[in-house]
Amino acid sequence: MESYFLFSSGELRRKDNVVRMTALDGRFKVLKIEVMRDLYLFGKASMNTDCLNYLAQSKIPVHFFNHYGFYTGTFYPKEANVSGNLLIRQVEHYTDFEKRLNIAQEFIQGACYNILKNLKYYRQRGKELDKAINEIQALEKMISRTVTIEELMGIEGNIHRVYYGTWTTIINQEVDFEKRVKRPPDNVVNTLISFLNSLVYTTCLSEIYVSQLNPTISYLHSAGERRFSLSLDIAEIFKPLLTDRIIFSLLNRKVITEKDFSKDSNYFYLKDKGKRKVLEMYNSTLDETVRHKDLKRNVSYRKMMRLECYKLIKHLLGEREYQALRKWW
Amino acid sequence: MYVILIYDISMIELRQGAKVSRNVFKICKKYLTHIQKSVFEGELTPAKLQKLRNELAQYLREDLDSVVIFKSKQKKGLDKEFWAADESEKTSNFF
Amino acid sequence: MRITGTMINYYFICQRKLWCFTHHLNFEEGHQNVELGKLIDEASYSREKKQIMIDGTINVDFIQDWKVVHEVKKSRAMEESAEWQVKYYLYFMRERGIEVEKGILDYPKIRKRKEIFLTQKDGNKLKEILDEIKNIAHLEKAPTTINSKICKKCAYYEYCYC
Repeated sequence: MESYFLFSSGELRRKDNVVRMTALDGRFKVLKIEVMRDLYLFGKASMNTDCLNYLAQSKIPVHFFNHYGFYTGTFYPKEANVSGNLLIRQVEHYTDFEKRLNIAQEFIQGACYNILKNLKYYRQRGKELDKAINEIQALEKMISRTVTIEELMGIEGNIHRVYYGTWTTIINQEVDFEKRVKRPPDNVVNTLISFLNSLVYTTCLSEIYVSQLNPTISYLHSAGERRFSLSLDIAEIFKPLLTDRIIFSLLNRKVITEKDFSKDSNYFYLKDKGKRKVLEMYNSTLDETVRHKDLKRNVSYRKMMRLECYKLIKHLLGEREYQALRKWW
Repeated sequence: MYVILIYDISMIELRQGAKVSRNVFKICKKYLTHIQKSVFEGELTPAKLQKLRNELAQYLREDLDSVVIFKSKQKKGLDKEFWAADESEKTSNFF
Repeated sequence: MRITGTMINYYFICQRKLWCFTHHLNFEEGHQNVELGKLIDEASYSREKKQIMIDGTINVDFIQDWKVVHEVKKSRAMEESAEWQVKYYLYFMRERGIEVEKGILDYPKIRKRKEIFLTQKDGNKLKEILDEIKNIAHLEKAPTTINSKICKKCAYYEYCYC
């Protein structure tokens, strides 16, 4: 299955039994409907309901981004399979506070483990990161002792503050990055984080779509914080493995430099060429595989997202306690 | 698996041939990327390949038309060169 | 509870799969073996009358003159479960006054077929099986994994063993 990334502006239409994007200059791209998993729109595309209905019928989610590369939303086709039973359990685990906190803590445990894994990797490569690692390890011990979601979010915020503080050490390029600024991001690193995090979010969403979980009921983030908040929860585990690793790699190998960005009034954003470079790396990283010890087969990052959904389902159905992905390789 | 599909539709019976050709083309482009006149390529799972085959079978005339499939376990197993115009953009998922 | 042919089939293959199926946990979409199976059905008998739903419960691949029930399978690997599936179709229809004679298991890929008859003894055993299926469907938790070599090809493999 393939993802399509459309930057050109033009018209997206159903033609015969495929979807076709025709750019303003007449060039066109045929989107192979049978092998398309999802569709990303970055340019100004116009389309009609005929086209949207056809995409929905083919169960293809469409992710939208604005001119600055900020994620604006997803066209999420009606779910084909739903399990009422599972939905009831999902809700039960949200309304029962103990159960909710339990799952939320596990998401942070997983995320924190993966953050530490990144730091240890760069420590091994000679970066001075001992102090940050110790601080985060101290915070890690507090995760299981939190009694409210707000407190847990506070710990998570502290972990990230220490973690982001190390980035100028990890990144070899001269970058100006002190703290995370989101709306709008104000520099190279913040812009890359925002862009990649939204990609991780959409990929998780595409996997939740086929897993039978309801994407609107989440545990760490409050249900309703965003429309598909479960995706935010699961993305938390994968951000250190995807977003952060890709940023370090893009900047350290100088694939992306300040030249790939543009600034207009308040916005600091990636130019199309920069976006494309990030997406290419992101897309190929998703397909990288590692050996899964229980399944005894190779799994890609994308498959691991699906497996997180499965593990969560097993937890909700009372079969086995959820254990978030901890990078084992 | 990575697949290259080529076809020849007989035009002995012109109107029928044209109809088959039109439909074969429309079906192929749902699954594969159109590369040259009657040449398609792309990554397909065994199930998708079977589905494509079923769809084409509705139109192909056993005694007249021909479809040839080249399969490679992985795309890496095939070296691809462009001897004139570089058309690598055709198979890209970026546009 | 409506018991489908698929449930009878799963009962013989794996009770955990049966439980998941009755709880509408369906991981089969997009799975290679499952999709291939469906496509072989489609391709094999396009000219005959296909897939009819009876009484909103069983979905039969096709019926010749209301006398012979056909079920198409990809391979003979799961023959016992397939036989019981067909026997259940015969049982189900006779219970509703349709005088079917026999069933046929079709293996178009290997060009084989096998005739299936329903005996009195089979009918009694099916009654027991139907009760057991209801019991499994009402279990609070899924039965444990069966750790068999057939698991690797199952659409539920990743769910069960991750």
